[in-house]
Amino acid sequence: MNSRLRTVLVLLLVLAVGFAVYSYFGPKDDAEKDDQDRAPSGVVTDPKTFVYISIGEPDTLDPAFAYDTASGEIIHQVYDNLFDYEDGDLDKLVPRLATEVPTVENGLISDDGRTIKVPIRKGVKFHSGNELTPEDVEYTIERAMISDPVGGPIWMFFEPLLGVQNMRQLIATVGGPENFSDINEVDPAIRRAAFDKIDAAVEVEGDAVVFNLAGPYPPFLQILAKGGSWASILEKAWMVENGDWDGNPDTWAKWYDPTKEEMTLYQKANGTGPFKLQAWDRSGGQIVLKRFDDYFRGPAELETVFVKYIEEYNTRQLMLQSGDADAIYADVQYLDQLRGVEGIRILEGLEQISNTVLLYNFTIPYEGNEDIVGSGKLDGNGIPSDFFAEINVRKAFNYAFDYERYLNEVANGAGTISTGFIPNSLPFSNEGGEWYYHDLELAEQHFRQAFDGELWEKGFKLTVLYNTGNNARKTAAEILEYNIESINPKFQIEVQGMQWATYLGKLDAGTLPVFFMGWLADFPDAHNFVDAYLRSTGAFAGYCGEGLVELTKAEFDDLVAQAMQAPTSEERATLYKEINRKAYEYAIALPYIDPADHRVMRDWVEGFVHCPAYSAKYDFYSLSKQVD
Amino acid sequence: MLTFITRRLLFLPVVLIGVTLMIFVAMSFLTPAQLVSAYIKSPEELKNQSVSELVVKYGLDQPIWVRYINWMKNVLKGDLGYSVSANMHVTEAIAKRFPATLELAIFAVIPVIFGGIWLGTVSAKNHNQPLDHASRIFAIVGWSLPDFVFGLIILLIFYGLAGWFPPGRLSVWADNIILSGDFVQYTGMNTIDALLNGRFDIFLDALRHLVAPTITLAYLWWAYILRITRSSMLDVLNKDYVRTARAKGLMERLVINRHVRRNAMIPVVTVVGSMILGLLSGVVIVETVFDYKGIGLLIAKGAQQMDYTLVLGTSLFYGVLLVLTNLVVDVLYAVIDPRVRLE
Repeated sequence: MNSRLRTVLVLLLVLAVGFAVYSYFGPKDDAEKDDQDRAPSGVVTDPKTFVYISIGEPDTLDPAFAYDTASGEIIHQVYDNLFDYEDGDLDKLVPRLATEVPTVENGLISDDGRTIKVPIRKGVKFHSGNELTPEDVEYTIERAMISDPVGGPIWMFFEPLLGVQNMRQLIATVGGPENFSDINEVDPAIRRAAFDKIDAAVEVEGDAVVFNLAGPYPPFLQILAKGGSWASILEKAWMVENGDWDGNPDTWAKWYDPTKEEMTLYQKANGTGPFKLQAWDRSGGQIVLKRFDDYFRGPAELETVFVKYIEEYNTRQLMLQSGDADAIYADVQYLDQLRGVEGIRILEGLEQISNTVLLYNFTIPYEGNEDIVGSGKLDGNGIPSDFFAEINVRKAFNYAFDYERYLNEVANGAGTISTGFIPNSLPFSNEGGEWYYHDLELAEQHFRQAFDGELWEKGFKLTVLYNTGNNARKTAAEILEYNIESINPKFQIEVQGMQWATYLGKLDAGTLPVFFMGWLADFPDAHNFVDAYLRSTGAFAGYCGEGLVELTKAEFDDLVAQAMQAPTSEERATLYKEINRKAYEYAIALPYIDPADHRVMRDWVEGFVHCPAYSAKYDFYSLSKQVD
Repeated sequence: MLTFITRRLLFLPVVLIGVTLMIFVAMSFLTPAQLVSAYIKSPEELKNQSVSELVVKYGLDQPIWVRYINWMKNVLKGDLGYSVSANMHVTEAIAKRFPATLELAIFAVIPVIFGGIWLGTVSAKNHNQPLDHASRIFAIVGWSLPDFVFGLIILLIFYGLAGWFPPGRLSVWADNIILSGDFVQYTGMNTIDALLNGRFDIFLDALRHLVAPTITLAYLWWAYILRITRSSMLDVLNKDYVRTARAKGLMERLVINRHVRRNAMIPVVTVVGSMILGLLSGVVIVETVFDYKGIGLLIAKGAQQMDYTLVLGTSLFYGVLLVLTNLVVDVLYAVIDPRVRLE
């Protein structure tokens, strides 16, 4: 290269670098300066921007569909409910979009407990700028009920309001078929009759909304309270503008049981909550929330919230230590690494009404599922469809799991070993009753008895899936793998990770033979747990195959309904005792821990409020950052 | 030269048909349900129709050559099916993730090639001397280190301790601007988009995020390029024409640059071609460690989650890319070595 050309190039390079540096550090207009102030360096952080790093992305942002904690986390910030828990106290229900909490004493709940009147607050604005009306509340509940996504949360409206579990059952009660393949095949008159029932259950009366219940349902107000993403209040006019159902009683079928992608609020949002959804950046794996300045309780301290999804734990931890993150999701086994690290605060032993369970699919589909079930036969190269319908297999799995080891080595002692499907922290649990424990000899006995000894002879090959990033579940699967493979070398278990959204998709399709689910209370009552795990229409029944549905129909459904409606606590106790005994007898699934909760955050984060009823880990509205 | 390139370009469609045939044959080994997932445009299509109905709908019960033509029609329309793991169409997923990987590859390839060739040249020039041993040890350590270990070390040092080069593609403040709606994303490559939007602060921030993954990739690849360059250089250094060049009194710098290095480049170009393709197909571990959401991470997740549609779609995409890269490499051969043109 000749020297003149080289000199020109060097000069150009110096000019370019100089210009870049000037533009980065030089004077700026106000808007740009505002941006510049936020550039992080070391542990300097912007006090108005909060970064929370979690794992799996939300399944959907539609409150009528969302039933996972990742979705609930975002919905919680963007929407409001009629009620909330004051300072996270489950015994102190306070009004939010309502103006009063109904009680029998204030006359808003009828003496028979079947009519609840909720006065709606005035002057509350949606992010669109429009004001909340009682009609919006009515629309929210009715829209959720007419859409009723299979396996979704809307049973919590159907059960108290109409005494059924879902739209199919409702259609059956008005003379239609329960097992229709297409809602459009149902006679329009039947569809109209079904809608009329929904319409009558939720009525607007002046400035209030009146709920007409099918029978007394004590936890109904908790179902409507904050933490219940399904009861997030929507704006009817905005929904209609965006192509959703317009409230017409004759056209609702078009919006019945949609796929999540079809739903209006799949990746859009318009609530009354303290934050607006600015962007769901799917390629970048992050969601951005912006403060809603017209929030009726006053604007939040934080201006911007980033919820990022990073599966690699080391990266999350380094970002927290560097101050680029204000809070991170950390599995309990990582807490030891974080203890004593300067600037990091760990909150442990937080109360949580939940349990974690390994569930069995009693009727595993083979078609399209070969990668998980292998040959689909009892030949040592896979598992047959009815693998977990065999009670000895279920009992063997339950005895093979090392509960103590999991609690002590994985959960670091944070929680208690499950004694049934009702968490030990709730009334009517099975604490002290007969339940499964780690015993490989008993496990072997049951494996030998399974399929008349054929399983023991031929062995099996099974893939256990967990949602990627959840290392506690991965370890739980590996404990099971280690113990079961040690019983018989012909038993092979492969542990495999899968992204949360896909994991949920496969669950919805009922294709996973065995899967982990954590159940966080929708409302703090034993019914919520037995209904989810042990009822034929429960939240997990659709994932566990027809075999489980048949069994629970025959053995549990009536008991669960009776226990909910029993007039006295003593009667409820007797009925739940029977439910616990049967759950043990049939080894329906493998509940292994009632975990305690924890949070990991920077010590500059203030205002954290813990509420066991929230699915969201953080209520960003209450948070602020105290930075020098 | 023009004839050579034209000949290769004319041959290109034949190679591409071969690639699609191979992928199609691979697809024909899948079960009907897996095949259907490669054809559906959205999950809704599975809702009210059984797999067997969809098999008929998409003509999957027809002879293989009919199916191939139908499949090619979809591919030519850019329809590679719906990816469950990415929650979007495969074409859209590639379009969203590939620019990030391309950007990383562009920035990584410069230090990798020039650093590797320079190290190889230094090593060959100082054959069996301390500098040769030192550069070889340096490179061998890089080649031997698992990428996730080296990546984590780099992250720990340059981000955890020094705070210089953070993970991700942009800082939060820059993301805030990009996602505000006022910033136009022309290419999906943050450095280029920042320049096109006149935001040098974002450009610098994007560069800052590229440094650590680039260092990791460069160090891991240097050993390879160094070895090839060194052995090729040593081979050429013993040639008669090099001895002649020295004998006629040419400066050593000119001998090395004009006579040795140029002639030693052919095997290096071959390696560099496959290296670039490797970089473009995504560097999964580096993308994971540095939370750099590129296509490697996408494909790895797709494979992990048995998302056949995504894996097949991206395979086709990379098949095409491979053919094009090979074409460029062949053209470069011709540029470097006139004998290739004459052939």
